[in-house]
Amino acid sequence: MTMPARVVGEEKVKLKKSFVKPWIGIKYLFKKPVTIKIPFEKIEPAPKYRGFHTLDWKKCVGCNFCGQICPARAIEMTWLEVEGKMEKRPHPKIDYGRCTFCQFCVDVCPTGALGFTESYILTTDGTEDALELFNWVPIHPDKVRELNEAYGDYRFPVVRIEKLGDGTYRYHLRNGEVFEFKILGYGIRPPKKPTPAKPATEATANKETTKPAEKKESKPAEKKE
Amino acid sequence: MSLEVPRELREEARKHDMYLTPIAKDTYELFFGPQHMATENFSIILKMDGNRVEKAIVNPGFLHRGFEKLAEQRPYFTNIALLLRICVPESDVPENIYSMAVDEIVGWEVPERAIWIRTVVLEMARVSSWMFWIMGFGNEIGLYTAGQWAAAYRERLMRLFEELTGGRVYHIYTVPGGVRRDIPGDKWLRQLRDTVEYIKSKLKDFDEILFDNYITFERTEGVGVMDKRFALKHAVTGPNLRAVGVPYDVRKDDPYYLYPELDFEVPVLKEGDSLARVLVRRYELEQDLYILEQLLDMGPPSGPYMVQDPKLKNLPRFKVPAGDAYAHVESTKGDFGAYVVSDGSHKPYRVHVRGPSQSHGVTVLEELLKGARLADVPVILKTLDNCPPDIDR
Repeated sequence: MTMPARVVGEEKVKLKKSFVKPWIGIKYLFKKPVTIKIPFEKIEPAPKYRGFHTLDWKKCVGCNFCGQICPARAIEMTWLEVEGKMEKRPHPKIDYGRCTFCQFCVDVCPTGALGFTESYILTTDGTEDALELFNWVPIHPDKVRELNEAYGDYRFPVVRIEKLGDGTYRYHLRNGEVFEFKILGYGIRPPKKPTPAKPATEATANKETTKPAEKKESKPAEKKE
Repeated sequence: MSLEVPRELREEARKHDMYLTPIAKDTYELFFGPQHMATENFSIILKMDGNRVEKAIVNPGFLHRGFEKLAEQRPYFTNIALLLRICVPESDVPENIYSMAVDEIVGWEVPERAIWIRTVVLEMARVSSWMFWIMGFGNEIGLYTAGQWAAAYRERLMRLFEELTGGRVYHIYTVPGGVRRDIPGDKWLRQLRDTVEYIKSKLKDFDEILFDNYITFERTEGVGVMDKRFALKHAVTGPNLRAVGVPYDVRKDDPYYLYPELDFEVPVLKEGDSLARVLVRRYELEQDLYILEQLLDMGPPSGPYMVQDPKLKNLPRFKVPAGDAYAHVESTKGDFGAYVVSDGSHKPYRVHVRGPSQSHGVTVLEELLKGARLADVPVILKTLDNCPPDIDR
């Protein structure tokens, strides 16, 4: 199917060269510049700008849809232990060194646990701790939104990630709060070898006995994935 | 290469007891780019004889990522986030061609509202790409003011894109079956109309300072002349082809989306030099703004913005029936097409992208640069307007 093309030729497209006309541009010298003076003026991202992720840990069912759709393979499922209680399902850990901020993971999330905020600034003050900073398990959306309202400069909500020897991670939030949990292992399969679907009460009961074994197993499980 | 000394001169010199020795003609290699502003992630090795280019060898590959091979290893929807990197200034074009091809294989009827949004997004991408081109071209011929203006006006379009899609440069917005988000509201449409009118009012200023300027004429007239047969032989498309006198525009010759209902003109010039290419592009910018106005007058049709299909519930394992399809659109660089082959699994069997820059950015560029002055190299490069990631794909 072709349409009758309305072709226009020289008579309309061609221009005449002029020595005088370019000087008319001088009038813009007396107009206000469009440059945004950043420290004094503020720019705000659009309301649904694709920025850092948030995760409601209670809603997340650990289905790994986000890990499968991720084009950059930035998402790794992580088994966590909060206050001595193992989470029943794995949660996504997002590496912002790989993330392309396409937010397909948010689109596919069947329970709406994964979300995003407008915070987008990836720059830090260049300390060595900052290298560890952008590989995190996202925190609750309410917390991130609260921090955004308090500071309003669209920076990363976590200032420092402290890593202890036994796999414990401490997220130091911007307002001084500390959020602590333990990473037991990576992958879709749970890190313990007997009975994957174990009730949480039992897991806590024999925690003392199985703890050393967990640590050793967490590494091979990672390799298998 | 040695020069012959004329015989009379030699004899004349011998009379005076002097001997003339032939000197070697000096050619040198000049590495043009990738740090040069005009080349943007692309480089040319120039064999120079003084100020003239004797031979040009294009040296691409700085952005090689293996897009087509990578696309075979990722699920269908995920590929959008990868393929749009093939054309950075107008990233909506690769998104659209891929989505159109997948739509055709699945056999979806994309909702009217999604079609309208896609057309608007494509035209916005074209206008913002023209702005980007004016910025580059203005900088190359030394008229930096026009370049700065264009960058400032492009910012307005980027702001609109940010509100619509959530991203500024890489929008990741058009997906197979529709678009990812609805229009933010009537406010956005009003803003778009204001922006179109604003840029339209500024076109006069661009004419005065850039397109009517005698500097532009002096720098581009008769530089890098391409003839019709040569252009057709090397499959040049887009404004470069229209500048040699062939009225080929995909929007007219193989219409897609809402273009059959829209009214616009195809500018054609016969000269084929850099000036013709510049003027054709200038006229197309005007036409694109006119198209956007028409689309806004039409208004978005009501209805869903995404195909309602139960298969979309499981996106990572979304399977496309076996088949193949080719879709192409008119981008500011030329005819951009994608060929997708499916074998019935959740990943494409093959994705081939037909980029316009491959044709006019390598062989044609090498040919046009022969005999050009060094100062004309960026002008030829920028008026051909190639997109390096498209060559390296």
